[in-house]
Amino acid sequence: MKYIPTIGVECHVQLRTKTKLFSEVDNDARGKEPNSCVSPVDYALPGMLPRLNGEAIKLAILAGRAMNCEINALSRFDRKHYFYPDSPKGYQITQFYHPIIGAGYVELPSGTKVRIEHAHLEGDAGKLTHFDTYSLVDLNRVDTPLIEIVSMPDIHSAKDVHDYCKELWRLMCYAGVTYGDLYNGNMRFDVNISLAPEGSKELGTRAEIKNLNSFRSAERAAEFEIKRQTKILESGEKVKQETRGWSDATGKTSPQRSKEEAKDYRYMPEPDIPPINLSKDFIDKESAKLPLMPKDYRKKFNKTISADILEVLLDYPELMKKLGEVEEKHTKNISNLFSSVLLAEEKSAEYLNDLPSAKDLNELAEMNEKKELSSTSTKEVFLRLFDPQMKTHGAKQIAKELGLIQENDLGALEKIVDIVLAKPETQKAQADFKAGEEKVIGFLVGQVMKESHGKANPSAVQEILRKKLA
Amino acid sequence: MNIKREDIIHLAALSNFRLDEKEIDSLGRDLQDIIKYISQLDKLDTDNIEPTYQVIEMENVWRDDEILPQEADREALLALTKEAKDNQIKVPKVL
Repeated sequence: MKYIPTIGVECHVQLRTKTKLFSEVDNDARGKEPNSCVSPVDYALPGMLPRLNGEAIKLAILAGRAMNCEINALSRFDRKHYFYPDSPKGYQITQFYHPIIGAGYVELPSGTKVRIEHAHLEGDAGKLTHFDTYSLVDLNRVDTPLIEIVSMPDIHSAKDVHDYCKELWRLMCYAGVTYGDLYNGNMRFDVNISLAPEGSKELGTRAEIKNLNSFRSAERAAEFEIKRQTKILESGEKVKQETRGWSDATGKTSPQRSKEEAKDYRYMPEPDIPPINLSKDFIDKESAKLPLMPKDYRKKFNKTISADILEVLLDYPELMKKLGEVEEKHTKNISNLFSSVLLAEEKSAEYLNDLPSAKDLNELAEMNEKKELSSTSTKEVFLRLFDPQMKTHGAKQIAKELGLIQENDLGALEKIVDIVLAKPETQKAQADFKAGEEKVIGFLVGQVMKESHGKANPSAVQEILRKKLA
Repeated sequence: MNIKREDIIHLAALSNFRLDEKEIDSLGRDLQDIIKYISQLDKLDTDNIEPTYQVIEMENVWRDDEILPQEADREALLALTKEAKDNQIKVPKVL
């Protein structure tokens, strides 16, 4: 019997606000000491009052619009109770009953649509580190704003799990709501998987794989889980409903130790935070700030950039934004430099933070298209545009300083060719060429290039040589 | 609604309280009384009435996204914990 997997994904996205969701404390704890970004609110001291960060609401609107979602005018916060040292309050402030982001969908590059059930704002928990006999608690991450995006079970393959996670990451980065740093856990995925016999109307029992921090892990975990559950079902046994963890090292999921009893979060409305009631004007005004999304760039560049190069470049929102600023006639040329030169560079990640100006890129493409720069020289000048000292000179000036501008003036070139042809050491080659030895033309072009100190345009030189030796 | 012993044990477990046998019974009686008292509200007809989420009728109380210096620093906050280690709060092993 063939089994069809049905998969839904929950994704937590850390928002790039300056401060936390409920306190005026630095939200960016990367590289900072434990418990250095905390306030009495994060510690849940008696009498503390959480105060909602307005920026998180604006970012939630952008995130929602990026996923074609309805924005709910009225939303509220609720308390989700649980007892664990990562949460001094004893509850998480979340939006259980009235989330800010309603239904929508995400379209994968393949055209598959994954519907979004809803997405809500909530505070993150602290970080625990476990040792032999004790655990240590760092509260820097407490109440970092998150949006949790809940998809419908519309995914049916491990590959689509990967593509969905990646597209979500792109959407959130393009919308500018997160730093999207997966290594630092800015986005985390939970994957729910069940299998059912082909044609069956009922879904099977699902397992939830928690806390996957890369697209690849999500894909591999789904792949493993599909195989594991298929084996169980084929042997006539039943899949257990449980939470499982994933190990990148072993490539396996395994049951997570959890308390036996059913979850009981005792949700209740959060009385400390008054409801959010957004006017249509406010939602429209904030929605209008949504920058171009991957789908917009696909449409914009579908004639100038090939689809496979475009999909590679789409992983770099800053690159796409820059390409959008470059003159349309140069986008093909510049996109090639981005994909073949920049992304091949060892320091490409660093380079991406400080891209050349659109003006310099236009100038560079123009020089290349006018054949003032050979393709090798174009690449060289391009890389210099990332050099903090050189870049201020501008593309044209850099090309001049490096002596890379090609001589295209036919009259001037002809003079240089004549000088070379008059030299005794080229006489044999000239005779050989006239006798039909085609390949010596390379030697002669080389001599002219040398005479011109590398500035001659080789194809123009060859043309002149052929005319003269005909 | 009748509060059973299992309910008290369940609630205690959720909050990580350790109760002895006597406490389970006396807390059960207390809770039963409280619920009985509150249950009087069930007699009211609340059809078509919006739940009261909060008693102050405010909306959209937001603050600007600006970092403000905090009066309590890490040392002051860690001093409130039972035990600290390496600038972190030390707790019995969990999980």
